Amino acid sequence: MKKFFVSFTLAASLAFAAANDTFLVRNITVHPVTGPKLDNASVLVVDGKISEVGAKVTAPKGVKIIEGKGLHIYPGMINSATEVGMSEIGSIRETSDTGELGEFNPQLRSSIAVNPSSEHIPVTRANGITAVITLPGGGSTENRGFAFGALNPVIVGQSALMHLDGWTWEEMELKRTAAIQMKFPTIQMLSPRAMMMDLPGAFPRNTFAEAKKSYDRRIQAMHEFFEQARRYQKGKESKQPGLRRDLKFEAMIPVLEGKTPLMIVATRNRTIRDAIEFGQKEKIKIILAGLEQLGDNAAKIKELNIPVILGETLTLPSSEDDPYDSTAALPGLLHKAGIKFAFGTFDTQFARNLPYQAATAVAYGLPYEEALKSVTINAAEIWGVADQIGSIEKGKWADLIITDGDPLETNTQIKQMFIKGKAVDLSSRHTKLFEKYMSRQ
Amino acid sequence: MQKILSLLLLGCGLLLAQPPSGIAIRNARIVTGSGPILQKGTVVLRNGLIDAVGENVTIPTDAWVINGEGMTVYPGLIDALSTIGITDAAATPGSARPAATPGAPAATVSRGPEDRPLTTSWLKAADLINTTDRRIESARNQGFTSAITWPRRGIFAGQGAVINLAGDKSNDMIIVPSTGQYLALVNGGFGAGYPASLMGSISYIRQIYVDADRYARIKKQYADNPRGLNRPEYDRALEGVLESQRLLLPANRRVEITRMISFSKELKRPTVLYGLQEGYLALDALQAAGLPVLINLKWPEKAREVDPENIESLKVLEVRDKAATTPAELAKKGVKFAFYADGIDQPADILKAVRKAMQAGLSEADALKAMTITPAEIFGFADRLGSIEKGKIGNLVVTKGGIFDEKPAIQHVFIDGVKYDPAPDTQTPAAAGARATGGGKEQEQQ
Repeated sequence: MKKFFVSFTLAASLAFAAANDTFLVRNITVHPVTGPKLDNASVLVVDGKISEVGAKVTAPKGVKIIEGKGLHIYPGMINSATEVGMSEIGSIRETSDTGELGEFNPQLRSSIAVNPSSEHIPVTRANGITAVITLPGGGSTENRGFAFGALNPVIVGQSALMHLDGWTWEEMELKRTAAIQMKFPTIQMLSPRAMMMDLPGAFPRNTFAEAKKSYDRRIQAMHEFFEQARRYQKGKESKQPGLRRDLKFEAMIPVLEGKTPLMIVATRNRTIRDAIEFGQKEKIKIILAGLEQLGDNAAKIKELNIPVILGETLTLPSSEDDPYDSTAALPGLLHKAGIKFAFGTFDTQFARNLPYQAATAVAYGLPYEEALKSVTINAAEIWGVADQIGSIEKGKWADLIITDGDPLETNTQIKQMFIKGKAVDLSSRHTKLFEKYMSRQ
Repeated sequence: MQKILSLLLLGCGLLLAQPPSGIAIRNARIVTGSGPILQKGTVVLRNGLIDAVGENVTIPTDAWVINGEGMTVYPGLIDALSTIGITDAAATPGSARPAATPGAPAATVSRGPEDRPLTTSWLKAADLINTTDRRIESARNQGFTSAITWPRRGIFAGQGAVINLAGDKSNDMIIVPSTGQYLALVNGGFGAGYPASLMGSISYIRQIYVDADRYARIKKQYADNPRGLNRPEYDRALEGVLESQRLLLPANRRVEITRMISFSKELKRPTVLYGLQEGYLALDALQAAGLPVLINLKWPEKAREVDPENIESLKVLEVRDKAATTPAELAKKGVKFAFYADGIDQPADILKAVRKAMQAGLSEADALKAMTITPAEIFGFADRLGSIEKGKIGNLVVTKGGIFDEKPAIQHVFIDGVKYDPAPDTQTPAAAGARATGGGKEQEQQ
């Protein structure tokens, strides 16, 4: 504990010393992630970007030097599904800006909902996470479709890739529309009122046939929305006179063009299968998110090269008869199937646990190298920013963490963090409370 | 008009008060339920009772003789827990919440045990019998001659009655007017106030029995010498509880069974557990407790109309597979059990459910006991019903072949010595009305 405290003060003092975004870290073990590790090497950062990596790096005169003896440098980690900055205290409505109502809202931008002063940001950073995907529709569940009938969210808005540092959300923005988030509908056997009132016994259940019919109707409505968006796109291309500008359809154009992926939250076998089929029918790029199982979809996902964002893997199996390790072993299964994936936590306060998801997966069959990649370069590739972040390579943003060991291990300390080359304060509400209670007489 | 009607009713009553002077079934196989099976015996019914049974019985000259060649005579079957005859919404689960006190508006939010929530302990099934309930006839057509019927609404639902499944007036049907208190672990649900949780319901039951004991003490003290004492405040809920000492406690799942066994020890009253579908998981506990149990014959089955991709859990499959082994296992352990058919919609499925338990190892004799003498013993009327013995009530079932055959052919049903023959189409309501009300057709049409 003492050690942690000391390292914290060290980090804090260094943060203030490195005022500019140009510096050299030397005599450090470099883990570029995309290549083999380099012992006793240096990383030169110029104006916030990585300028050189190697054993012999010539530093410009007068550059600030950080001595890295005995330490390691890694790229900052990326959490591929969070609500960080969008919801401060879940139960206080005023501090939450997620979960809009309405079936199709692709125009909603989660990036502007991010509060740069959120207490959750430094807490998340403390474990070495430098960028997160923010979800406009929160959680890792599909569309359970009950509460508000026609207002049930399906397309919930734009997921943004955000740096975890900046005075404003604009400064934090790394990619405004990394994906458009969709919550795929599910077959609901319970009646809407029963779900809303949490009294399943008191209300009649739908028959499967009824539930299936309403599910099919919802999917039909999704196809219709895409069709409308397509007509709008054509009208716009042909400069159709009198075309009313519609922000919803406007936001759909990059999806239809295949430039922006549709990130579909689908947890169970059927939903995953139907989500893939939906993407194929609409000929769009999709990312599957929140998977709790692979079901019989592994071959299809691999064949179509669909990336996957895993949901909570540090959780109990979803069915009581599942093997005890079914959630922890899922990442390894995806890797064996040749599916590219990254981890997400789908929440706010536990976004910091990202590295432990990857670490646990290693214990259940995922090769270590892949685990590290899934929180760095794989995520960057999935989100289309592999030229900017995700590894220690020349030309990328200097999103770096200096550690005293493997960042996937719980007892490793993050000594320093840089986001776009700027040293970031590693103190957080947690360290403040730690100090407060440690100093109690 | 009224006079004519009452005369008419009186006439009916007189008519029934004089059944045929005697009925004899001879040369039949007789499963007495109390002794060995008589391969070729005779039963004589007279005056509503069993007058004689045996292999060498002299048939009275005035008796109407039925040739029992190729037939088997059984004691009439008893359904140990049902709502047959009760059509009153106030006693049926799922109906509107009754008023806490009579005359007060319904749906008052109760604040605690003092408001006696979900309690109608004073309700007597015997007072609620509706002779036009069609279930009376359809149960009879399956060989049931008696049932123990209960108000089933609320935590303290009310008092059960042993009834015969035939009679002109409800009064004719009653054998035992009050045979225990039916308890269920329910709560008022959203917005109804206390109790809204399982712990609340259990704690409420405990409080009621604490209150009832005190109430009984104070009442006795006052009755012995009222001078100088304030009169005890009348409490209808506690009166009902004191009137019905025997408790029926719900115990379907294993955890419920073990909990209710210890709850029963605490309440210090004769207890009967009902449900028991996971009884096969608590055999030793049940044997050690020595409590009689009522087993629901509605074995868990796969729901129709389910998601074809839904994978059922091993636990659900296991209960579905094993529930019907409970009777055979309990029989081996010597636990006293009776059957009830609650939840079985088609009366013809009741005996099918019994056959399922027999396929799981239950002997025919034990199966029959669970529907005849054992319920009578559990509820204390074995001196009147449950077996074919001289002096008992004349409730019999006569079948061609065995009653547990694949397709049991029930020929006659005798209740209080009166013969009822199942109609070929057992579901015809007109026939049911005519028979059940003895000519009171206008009643049926209402």
